[in-house]
Amino acid sequence: MQIKLGQNLLGANAAVAGEIRRLMEEKGLLLLNLMSSPGAGKTTLLEKTLAAVKERLRVAVIEGDVATTKDAERIARLGIPVVQINTHGACHLDAAMVRDVLPAFDLDNLDLLIVENVGNLVCPAEFDLGEAMKVVVLSTTEGNDKVPKYPLMFREAGALLLNKIDLLPFTDFRLDELAADLGQIHPGLPRFDLSARTGEGMDRWIDWLSNQAEERRRR
Amino acid sequence: MHEMALMESLVDVLAREADRHNIARIKKVKLTVGALTHALPDALQFAFTVLREQPLFAPEAELEIEERETRGRCGSCGVEFAVEGNFGFLCPDCGGFAIEIIQGRELQIDYFEGD
Repeated sequence: MQIKLGQNLLGANAAVAGEIRRLMEEKGLLLLNLMSSPGAGKTTLLEKTLAAVKERLRVAVIEGDVATTKDAERIARLGIPVVQINTHGACHLDAAMVRDVLPAFDLDNLDLLIVENVGNLVCPAEFDLGEAMKVVVLSTTEGNDKVPKYPLMFREAGALLLNKIDLLPFTDFRLDELAADLGQIHPGLPRFDLSARTGEGMDRWIDWLSNQAEERRRR
Repeated sequence: MHEMALMESLVDVLAREADRHNIARIKKVKLTVGALTHALPDALQFAFTVLREQPLFAPEAELEIEERETRGRCGSCGVEFAVEGNFGFLCPDCGGFAIEIIQGRELQIDYFEGD
């Protein structure tokens, strides 16, 4: 017997993501999904971002990691509510993992919830977490080829952070090539060139992010 | 890794649907996979050979995959076109860049067979 289905393989994930999205809208809370390759500097960037935005916004973090709690410990030191999800080998978070940790937060008293996804440019792009926005971090030391090699991630992103611009003189990364590639794959994508380590360019990103969260709260 | 996670989702869906239709053993599954998903057919096939060890599947169960190229539709002039190398999201006719993805993101279970 043949059974016709015609249904999305990730239908169950999409349904949970939809629930999360509705909940976040109801609470006026901006859920942000932060993604990058391993080593792009996501956690440092997040630490610096949180230290700045916590003056303006009530913020919390969900840390995704394959096995350790190292990143969550770094965030907790800032006095920010953080929950660690260990994926036990899986290369991405899925919507059910996020839903299951939401009760750990006081959602009525938050403006911004940031999910730091597992470092990986392929799988996280495929799994909707119910986020309002995906933010992708690319670092100058990774080379220009990440954009054409992982187009879905850059296509789906709502903002691109180019990190480690302090290292530009020591790499062969080219800003004009990045601009040309993004022009092909995602014209108009908001882009912030910055260095989380030196703080250069961070203000523009933090203002933009804070405005996004404040706009959502007012809605 | 990605493909294994996708195939685990496949097993979840199939287990539920097989139960609903009183199918004890699945013999064939047909998927449509878009190029933009980064799901590699060979890796999906490999993951399937691991997962078909489960009692839900007949030992010789097969997976058929239909691949779909990425296609876009221009928001300015309406032309539909193949997105070369998954990368050129620019209209080949008018140069417009408000491109809607109309094909290539599929990860769809078309049907399954069993008894």
